[in-house]
Amino acid sequence: MAGGGRALSEPLPSVGSEPFRLPEAAVGILLILPAILLLLLLTLYPVLYGVWISFFNKHAFFPQQTFVGFDNYAFLLRDPEFWAAVWRGTVYALSTIVLQIILGVAAALLLNELFPGRNILRAIVIFPYVVPTVVAVIIWKWLLNSQFGLINYFIETAGLVDQPVSFMGKDWIMISLIIVSVWQFFPFVVIGVLARLQTIPEELYDAAKVDGGNAWQRFVHVTLPQLKSVLFVIVLLRSIWMFTKFDTPWLMIQGGGAETYIRTLPIYTYMRTFAYYEAGLGSAMAVVMFLALAGAATLYFRIWRREENL
Amino acid sequence: MNSSYGLLSPRGQALIFAALVLLIFTAFPFAWMASTALKPSREIFVTPPTLWPTQVTLDNLSRLFAETRFLTYFHNSLTVSFATVGLTLLVSVPAAYGLTRFRFQGRETIAGLILFTYMFAPIMIIIPFYVVMRFLGLTNTHIGLILAYTAFCLPFSLWLLRTFFQSIPLEIEEAAMIDGTRVQAVIYVVLPLALPGVVATGTFTFVLAWNDYIFARVLLSADELKTLPVGIADLYNASVVDWGMIMAAGLLVIAPVAAVFVFIQKFLVAGWGSGGVKG
Repeated sequence: MAGGGRALSEPLPSVGSEPFRLPEAAVGILLILPAILLLLLLTLYPVLYGVWISFFNKHAFFPQQTFVGFDNYAFLLRDPEFWAAVWRGTVYALSTIVLQIILGVAAALLLNELFPGRNILRAIVIFPYVVPTVVAVIIWKWLLNSQFGLINYFIETAGLVDQPVSFMGKDWIMISLIIVSVWQFFPFVVIGVLARLQTIPEELYDAAKVDGGNAWQRFVHVTLPQLKSVLFVIVLLRSIWMFTKFDTPWLMIQGGGAETYIRTLPIYTYMRTFAYYEAGLGSAMAVVMFLALAGAATLYFRIWRREENL
Repeated sequence: MNSSYGLLSPRGQALIFAALVLLIFTAFPFAWMASTALKPSREIFVTPPTLWPTQVTLDNLSRLFAETRFLTYFHNSLTVSFATVGLTLLVSVPAAYGLTRFRFQGRETIAGLILFTYMFAPIMIIIPFYVVMRFLGLTNTHIGLILAYTAFCLPFSLWLLRTFFQSIPLEIEEAAMIDGTRVQAVIYVVLPLALPGVVATGTFTFVLAWNDYIFARVLLSADELKTLPVGIADLYNASVVDWGMIMAAGLLVIAPVAAVFVFIQKFLVAGWGSGGVKG
């Protein structure tokens, strides 16, 4: 926070070329104005408008709309498919978050050690996170293909299964989706944790060694407490992003018959809006999603604060 | 050199083994994609599968160019991504500078609000966004898509740039302003110092625009306007999946991302390395 809160001291000797001087605050506001306008127009206004149309029976393409009050929300409460989508989304989000954190922290600990090729591996590990989702999905659909997939070939020749596994079928598609998502998103955890690991002072470990702690004890008593704050942020961001993840499950669904088994809430929202053209109902779902996440985030902050104060 | 790694110790061996597992887990899927992309069609389906193509061919690539609109999609993706980076930086660099260097009422509130908009996921804004764009007649145009990406990238871009500007000591800037105007100080002193941050922000913005699927899916319907992620998804959805061609397409899509990352590496390290690198 070097000097973040301080403004440049106002009257400096030479402001020569300017014919007149705008007051400090005006310049600051002028500089920010375009960004604020864009955000208001393209993010805040649509969000508020979304809340507005959630009270209407509104077609996605045509302008006609009729006010229905809380009918859309009432419909959702009674809609079994909505609750099923909430449940699937929760299963998907929670399992991928837990696996990402475990795998990401483990990989970061490894990449913090010294071994030949470490820097190259650091770059490679980030890669799944920066490629387009569609590429991640087609790669894994090919690997997991039931007829010609490499993974089926391996597990069959290893004698683990008698018949090829239908990874895109109804029994496996959720697991396949979780595998793809964890592979795609664990690098985010690696980046954050690795950056933090590099700032832990070596003396802390030396002290722990003097006290006779083994590797596991050093991890639990030295590393983990230091990682707490960065993990707090990572868990928050990853939760928001996994609960609202659309493209990975959506692209996994394409070309398969088991779509209903990974129809999470974002998918259901999209389908209601752009397949059934019920923009009002879709917006209501988006609002519910937002409120639930905002509530969860607030609760999360509260618990965190209390923990910190202990 | 080798002795310092202690490669022969059990710990060293365990490290190498774990590193290999991690390498295979992250890199092998890409290698398999490349291998498939460079195989002739009949070799793709042989048992046992060949990890290294016995016969390397560019057949899949040429089919991709001849039979699909891949080059059009590629061109569209490049245009939209670069325009997004340009517009985002044009708006967010002055704003981030203003947020750190000028005192005015409500400054912290604005900073907080910006972070708050970061919470909106695409699926939560796509519906009203679509309706608004339709009203403005901007659906099915690249301009609409660029505006969408800019709006989506602005919060994190502002946030990132703000921390970079905050890390530039005010004293340097004040010293430069004694010798010249603030504009000169910004151009010759502040911006060069903030360059790693600007480049990092630009990179993240590019990758976001390049990779996006949902905005392009919803906002564009004309085939000649589609960007790569949508174009490839549709290629996959075509009746019979041509795996060789799909993998070739995948390979070409990640090529610019890979190039950007290799180029950008030192800037990213400069950005993250403030904590100092161990060992």
